[in-house]
This record gives sequence, C-alpha cells and structure tokens, in this order.
Amino acid sequence: MSYLLNRLLSIVLTLFLISAITFGVTNILPGDVAMMIMGTQSNPEALEGLRHSLGLNDPLIVQYGRWIAGMFTGDWGQSLIFKAPILDLLGQKIKASALIVVMSMAIALAVAVPLGVWSAVHRDKWQDSVSSSAALLGVSLPDFFWGIMLILLFARTLGWLPSSGYADPGVDFGLAVEHAFLPSLALGLGLMAHLTRMTRSTMVGILGQEFIRVARAKGLAERTVIWRYGLANAIGPVMTIAGLQVGYLFGSIIVIETLFNYTGMGWLTYQALLNRDVPLIQATVFVIAAVVMLTNLLVDLLYLLVDPRIRLG
Amino acid sequence: MKRFLTPKALVGLGVIVAILLIAILAPLFIPDAAANKMNMAARLKGPALAHLLGTDQLGRDLLYRVMLGARTSLTIAGLAVGLSIIIGLPLGIISGYYRGHVDNVLMRLVDTLLSFPALLLALTISAMLGPNLQNTIIAIGIAFTPFLARIVRGEALRVVQMPYVEAARASGTNDLQMILRHILPNIMPQIIVQATISLAFAILAEAGLSFLGLGTQPPQSSWGLMIQASRDYLDVAPWTALVPGAAVALTVLGLNMFGDVLRDVLDPRVRG
Repeated sequence: MSYLLNRLLSIVLTLFLISAITFGVTNILPGDVAMMIMGTQSNPEALEGLRHSLGLNDPLIVQYGRWIAGMFTGDWGQSLIFKAPILDLLGQKIKASALIVVMSMAIALAVAVPLGVWSAVHRDKWQDSVSSSAALLGVSLPDFFWGIMLILLFARTLGWLPSSGYADPGVDFGLAVEHAFLPSLALGLGLMAHLTRMTRSTMVGILGQEFIRVARAKGLAERTVIWRYGLANAIGPVMTIAGLQVGYLFGSIIVIETLFNYTGMGWLTYQALLNRDVPLIQATVFVIAAVVMLTNLLVDLLYLLVDPRIRLG
Repeated sequence: MKRFLTPKALVGLGVIVAILLIAILAPLFIPDAAANKMNMAARLKGPALAHLLGTDQLGRDLLYRVMLGARTSLTIAGLAVGLSIIIGLPLGIISGYYRGHVDNVLMRLVDTLLSFPALLLALTISAMLGPNLQNTIIAIGIAFTPFLARIVRGEALRVVQMPYVEAARASGTNDLQMILRHILPNIMPQIIVQATISLAFAILAEAGLSFLGLGTQPPQSSWGLMIQASRDYLDVAPWTALVPGAAVALTVLGLNMFGDVLRDVLDPRVRG
C-alpha cells in the first residue's frame, strides 16, 4: 500500500516537472506567439495589444500558473494554426495514434519473441547468426527509411495498401486498419529488431541457469523446458523492455505519421513544431511525455503481478 | 586484446574508419560547387559510369552528395554526443558520488527528462531555436544528456563503494582528487561504450530531424535531407532513397557492431 502511495506521489511530482520543463523549453527559447498570430508585417501597436490581451507580458510564473489552471478546468487554449480548441484536437489525434502504437507493438512482439527464443536456443549456430544479423540490420536503419521502402513495395508497386491518410476506426474499422497497417509495420520493424536482441540475450541468460538443467535432467521435453520454464521467466524482463520502448515509439510516430500523412498525435506535434504554434506544442509535448511516464508506471505494476518474487520481496 | 579482435569488431571498425576517412577527405577532393552543381539534362539518371550512384532530381551527383553527407552526419553526431558528455558526465558523477539530497534532486530531474522521447525533445529544441547545423547539435546533445547522466551515475555509485575508494578516502584524498584519480578512470570504459552506442543513435536522430526539415538545411548535404527529397521520385528513381539510406544503415551498423564488441570486452557485467 505504501508502495502505491509513494508511486502516486511520484506521479504527481513528475507530472508537475514535465509541465514545468515543457513550459520552460517553449518559453525560454525564442519565438513570439503574438507575431505568429498576426504575422511578421503587423503593426507594432496591434502586436503589443494582442500580447497584453493574451497575457504574454505577464511574468512567466503567472503565465505558467494560468496554463496549469486551464488544464485543470478543461481549457487547454486554442491552436493558432488549426483555430480549434486544443483539447478537442488532442482527443481525436490520440485515438488515431493509439491504433498504430498498439498495432506496431503487437507486430513487433509477435515476431520478436519467437525469433529471440529461437536464436537463444540455437546459440552460436547459423540460426543465431542469421537472426542476430537481421536484428542488427533492423536497429541500424531509420524508421522512415523502412516507411519509404514499404510505400514503394506495398503501395506503389503492388498496390495492396494505401500509402497515406487516416480512417476513423469508429466509422469503418477495416478501413482504419488498412490505413494504419503500413505506418505500424514501419514502426514495428525497428522495434522488432530491438526486442529480438533483448529477448535473445534474456533467454540466453535464463537457459544457462540451474533450474533449466534440473528440468532437462528430469527428462522434460525440450519444448516444455524452453517455453514453460524458459520463456515464462523471460517474459517479465521482455515486457519491461517492450514498455520502455513506448517512449521510442512516441518519438518515432512524429516521423512516421508525417511520412504517411496519418493524422495522429505525431502528425499534430509536427504541424505544431513546424508552424511554431506554441500553445499546441506545449500541449502535445506534455501529453506525449505524460503518456510515456504513465506507461512506464503501468509496466512496473504489471511486473508486480507477473513476478511474485518482486511482489513478495 | 584477443577478445577484442573478433571478425565482428574488425568489420565494424573497418566500416567506421572508412566512413571517417570519407568524411575527412571528401571535402578536400570534392568542391562544394561540384556537389551542388545542378544539371537538369542529367536529372534522375540511374547509376552509370558518368555518375556511379546516379543523380538526384536536380541532376546532382549522388556519390558526391552522399560522401559530403558523411561529413555533416558525423560532425553533428560527434559534437552532439560530445555535448551530452560535457553536461551529463559531471551531473552523473556528482549525483553518484555525493548521493543523498543532491542525487535525489538531480535524478528526479533526469528521470523526468527521460519521459520525453529523445527525438521529440530534440525536435522541440530545434524548432524553437530555429533549424540549422549548430542548433541541431545542441538539440541532439541536450536530448541525449539524461541517458548519459543516468548511466554515469550508476557507474559512479558502483565504483564509490569499492575498497580502493574507501582506502583513498581514509588516506585523506579530497573529493576532487577522488573523482579525477579514482572515479573517472574506472567508469571510463562504460562511458566509451555508451558514447559509441549514442553515436549510432545520434546519426539516426540527425537523419530524422533533417528528414522532417528541422535539422540540417539545404543546400548543405545531409543523408536525411536526401531521403526526404527522394520521396516524390520513388517510382522513377528509387536509388535516390536507397543510396543515402544505405549510407545511414552502413554507418550505424558499423557503430553498433563495434559497440557490441566493445561492451562485451569492457563491461564487466556482460563479460561475466
């Protein structure tokens, strides 16, 4: 119970720090919101008037307080480029990105876990070399390069899948998956390579342990030893690593969603950054960092459920 | 040394040295004018004797541009990792050496920064400062600092509990001498391993930033920019994407291979 209370306090403190860093980075660095709204050729008096009405002349701490208070009351401000309430934009875009984050993680885990186990079981043999080399190549290529190659193959050459756009899963789920598939695969390939390497090294460690030798000595089938004894012990660390990769995924969706013109959180963040839409930058950066932090917490809690040694220790 | 001389390490090292030589020597032999010379009559030509790797949408020689891109990529990655070491090393050592409240405050800040995906942090800093070469270095350097600070702190914590540190403390060594003579030399191997791995990530990050238009700016040659420009010509000239993509992959692959072996040799926990 005290563990949970500590974690909750830690979440509140971290969210506060995330908000302070986000606000700090977007305010200390150069950039003028009033000029963004009115343009560079605008009248200095009108600019000053707008600055005053937006409260941009107030001390930073007052502006920060107003921003935080707005978040609590549901007023996240207006996007300067989309001329729409930021909270509404975030609601739509998070849904779109959640689909590709979940799909890419599913694709990556479905291939990486069996491949990593296979590689570890055949350690130092040709199977291990092939799988390890493929994984090493996978982590060495940028996601957007995978994306371009996938567009070239599946969209332009074979014409099987759309190369850009987004469809709402609430309206037509099949169409939404079709649009989300190539971006998810582009994200999933890099992740898959990384997770394969991690699964392999975790399994190599576990397969060398005493209880595995005992299981083999008892005459258990190799399949049971590997999957029931080996993988059951590896799943916790692999899950933790997969959870930590959510941060990597949320960095990569900015590039991938822009490449595929998939209008999710990554695309929204990029539009905000490109057009220096400061209120929207603050909101998207804060939300992404908060989601990453909360996902890591969720993984920690799941680990407690999966591994009794930690729960009881 | 014998453990280090594996085929994987040698291939990795060979690739890194070759690309480093290209990055250093290419600007001496390829004038900017030749690399930026547009020739609309020769646009999107495939690999041939006149242009060994083909030409881009403006008729510029892809071999020249990819070789000059090596300089941009390695300069940005090298300086960005250097910057992250300059900031992250003292932070990590102070945190691990002094522990207590200093450690709590610093690591809380570092952990919070780790909640921001590195690419997002780099993109935000670059967008706010204005994209150019110098700001790309600052953006990637700052984005990578929390990772380095965390690793250095962990290593410093490990070393500070060693008997030889206790012995030095008992003999009256002051904090600065302790850090410079005993802590720093003993965490150096892990810093070198981390720097090699970070270099690979920094090259990918630079390519990503430039691909999005928030990194290196034209007419400077950059692998990310080249891949970005190739998007509209994929059907007719796929080599315009493949050439810079292969350059990124080869460099990062070389660094990863070298980094893997380096970690196996230098990191006592992996060595087992």
